[in-house]
Amino acid sequence: MAERESRTGGSIDVGGRYDPIEVLGILAAALFWGWLGLRWLNDWFGGLFVREGQAFLPPSTFEFLPALAFAVEFAPELAAGVWLTVLLTIVGIALGFPIAIVLAGARVYGRTTRWVALGYIELVRGTPLLAQLFVLYYGLGLSSFIRELPGVGTVSVIPEQAVWVAMIGFTINSAAYQAEYLRGAIESVDPGQLRAARAIGLSQIDGIRYVVLPQALRYAIPGWTNELIYLIKYSSLAAFITVPELFNRASSIASENFRYLALFSLAGLFYLALVLTATNLTSRLEDRVAIPGLARRDERLRERSQ
Amino acid sequence: MIPAIPFVPSTPFVSLVPLGALADWGFVLGNADYLVGGLAITIALTVASILLGFAAGFPAGLIEVYGGHYSEAFVASLGVFFRGTPIVVIIIVMFFVVGISPAFLAATFALGLRSAAYQSQIFRGAIESVSGGQMEAARAVGLSRLQAIRHVIVPQALRRSIPGFQNEFTIVLKDTSIAFAIGLAELLTRSYDLFVQRTTAVLEIVLFISLLYFLLTFSTNRVLDALRERFVIPGGEG
Amino acid sequence: MSDPLLSVRDLRKSFGEEEVLRGIDFEMERRDVQVLMGPSGSGKSTLLRCVNRLSEPDDGTITLDGEDTAAMDENDLRRQVGMVFQGFNLFAHLTARKNVSLGLRRVRGFSKSETEERAEEELERVGLADQADSYPAELSGGQQQRVGIARALAMDPKLLLFDEPTSALDPELIGEVLSVMGELADDGMTMLVVTHEMGFAREAATDLLFLDDGTILERGPPTQLFESPEHERTATFLRRLTDLEAGQHG
Ligand SMILES: Nc1ncnc2c1ncn2[C@@H]1O[C@H](COP(=O)(O)OP(=O)(O)O)[C@@H](O)[C@H]1O
Ligand SMILES: [Mg+2]
Repeated sequence: MAERESRTGGSIDVGGRYDPIEVLGILAAALFWGWLGLRWLNDWFGGLFVREGQAFLPPSTFEFLPALAFAVEFAPELAAGVWLTVLLTIVGIALGFPIAIVLAGARVYGRTTRWVALGYIELVRGTPLLAQLFVLYYGLGLSSFIRELPGVGTVSVIPEQAVWVAMIGFTINSAAYQAEYLRGAIESVDPGQLRAARAIGLSQIDGIRYVVLPQALRYAIPGWTNELIYLIKYSSLAAFITVPELFNRASSIASENFRYLALFSLAGLFYLALVLTATNLTSRLEDRVAIPGLARRDERLRERSQ
Repeated sequence: MIPAIPFVPSTPFVSLVPLGALADWGFVLGNADYLVGGLAITIALTVASILLGFAAGFPAGLIEVYGGHYSEAFVASLGVFFRGTPIVVIIIVMFFVVGISPAFLAATFALGLRSAAYQSQIFRGAIESVSGGQMEAARAVGLSRLQAIRHVIVPQALRRSIPGFQNEFTIVLKDTSIAFAIGLAELLTRSYDLFVQRTTAVLEIVLFISLLYFLLTFSTNRVLDALRERFVIPGGEG
Repeated sequence: MSDPLLSVRDLRKSFGEEEVLRGIDFEMERRDVQVLMGPSGSGKSTLLRCVNRLSEPDDGTITLDGEDTAAMDENDLRRQVGMVFQGFNLFAHLTARKNVSLGLRRVRGFSKSETEERAEEELERVGLADQADSYPAELSGGQQQRVGIARALAMDPKLLLFDEPTSALDPELIGEVLSVMGELADDGMTMLVVTHEMGFAREAATDLLFLDDGTILERGPPTQLFESPEHERTATFLRRLTDLEAGQHG
């Protein structure tokens, strides 16, 4: 969903010393991801430290603060859901990326392929993601096909069939959105760059590959951040094809104990942590690959408006 | 295995699709008016949500630019909440926790307030893109701050928001399908009701409603393109 | 009424640590045209902006027509003191006519027909009656600046401030703006003009002020400053300007 969120600012540097807020943030992130990592390891290997789905410390330890005890009781099960949320997000964005490059290239430079790419992109962006998941899951019977593949559903590390269908769905969907961000980024590279590349004897493809794309990919980072956040949030729709990701788990626990608000608040905190981690990582990436003297795209836009 | 959430079947069923079987297309067409009824609800939900989003998002955008410290912080943090939470969670919370009913109203609030959070960003960006010189010039002829915002900044900012608004419109339209989670009988839910009745027609039904969604997003975009053309400032960039 | 129209006493203004204006004193009589020159960053814009209170002075008093501007309603003050900007700042969504009309309607409360008539007159005065329905982006820079002047004139200001009105213009468009300004001066408008156009200063200015580092270093009739400046800095600055102009025209 093009241009949803504007990126949040990068890290704040206070005169070379550490900003206390940033240090706190890093600590919180380390704690969150460390805990998640341990949870996942524990559950994958059939209860490495404690029984699968059981808290590391008994919730009764926190009786003095009921909200905390509640969180401790249900967080392990949600953590298992977070794994699928993260998996779907990363697979969707990573597998969607190469497809998006081809689509965007075709859209900008292709002749007949331009129309094929346009058709694909508009069709995917013009229909609801949930309908796409239904087509794949209920309509094409993909799940019955995947179920026959060796290991699926029997080996604990290999996710069950619905997860595979969801990964395919998110890849197809994300490829179209990423392609649009990339197209915008490619078109914002000065056309003189490709002309200059051709002038020193590079072929069209090489000119695109070695001159245009390295610049365009940098400009695409803000869009890419949006896409990452989009996937984190919309991976929740996989619940409707039975994938037990974060939202699904929160909602099935809530349908048993009716504590919707508490569970969705907890799930909301997890989503928030994922989103913050994603924006932080991409903003670091952007700082890292920034070309000295060349304004970042959002800065260029800001300058142009003044 | 985790028990499924409401309205989600816990066991996937398999359709053995003979793609394009005439009988299944016949089933789709036979139920076309049922689906078109869902389409009407989808459109109504989209329009209501966008209007609520505008009514709340436009002032929120103004506050984010011109507001005082506290009002700005308040609006900004509400925005972060609504933009950072999956829409399906917001819909479910509106329905089950806040207890808004009927489902249509719950979905309108969820989609509308979430849209407000995005629309406020569209307007904020548009307002900030109007150069500071415009405000100065307005104040220099003696307009008050409020008059300057109303007669000089806002008319330019609204024009500049049309592309973002266009984008927002199609997002809301597509996301009305997520009201499926609370059983609202919009287009997607109705298609689901149909294909659980006739599992061989799943593909036909979902393709049919996808076509309807596509036609809607496509035509809405053309209408908004025309709107933009209509309001473009001659010689300017918008 | 032998009071000066504008009197500025010990005006001071800082941005953070930086003291930009360090005690400015000067007066303007009605029909005066005073030209303000000085290096970039010396505080010329800040001085103008303090006069119509787009910036609030830190210290000192400014009186307009005997009235302390600090005590006036700021919108009323700005109605009486027009301003023309370096970057034109025309309202981008309004035609030339509407640019002139907005203040008439909303600040002076003119009726529709009065507004119409007055806007027409002002555009006529700057030679743009035939462009009344063009949008800013459809006009050349020189035309935009003339609309900017018409917009300011429509408020019947007692004093007009110009902040480098021609420095954003291509050389061939400067003349049309300067000639409008010259006509205003001839008509008796009181003008405080920041410009580095020596020709305009020579012909139209009653006084020339040289601002350096937040103070008025030197002042006097233009011929005096051009031919026998007291301070070395004034001399250097003006010599560089002369060289630049010679370079441009030669
Ligand atoms: N709003 C502001 N905030 C901070 N510093 C300012 C501001 N406006 C002007 N300055 C500073 O004041 C000094 C004088 O600026 P200005 O009056 O614009 O000079 P001039 O017009 O003579 O070039 C400059 O150093 C400038 O950076
Ligand atoms: Mg200046």
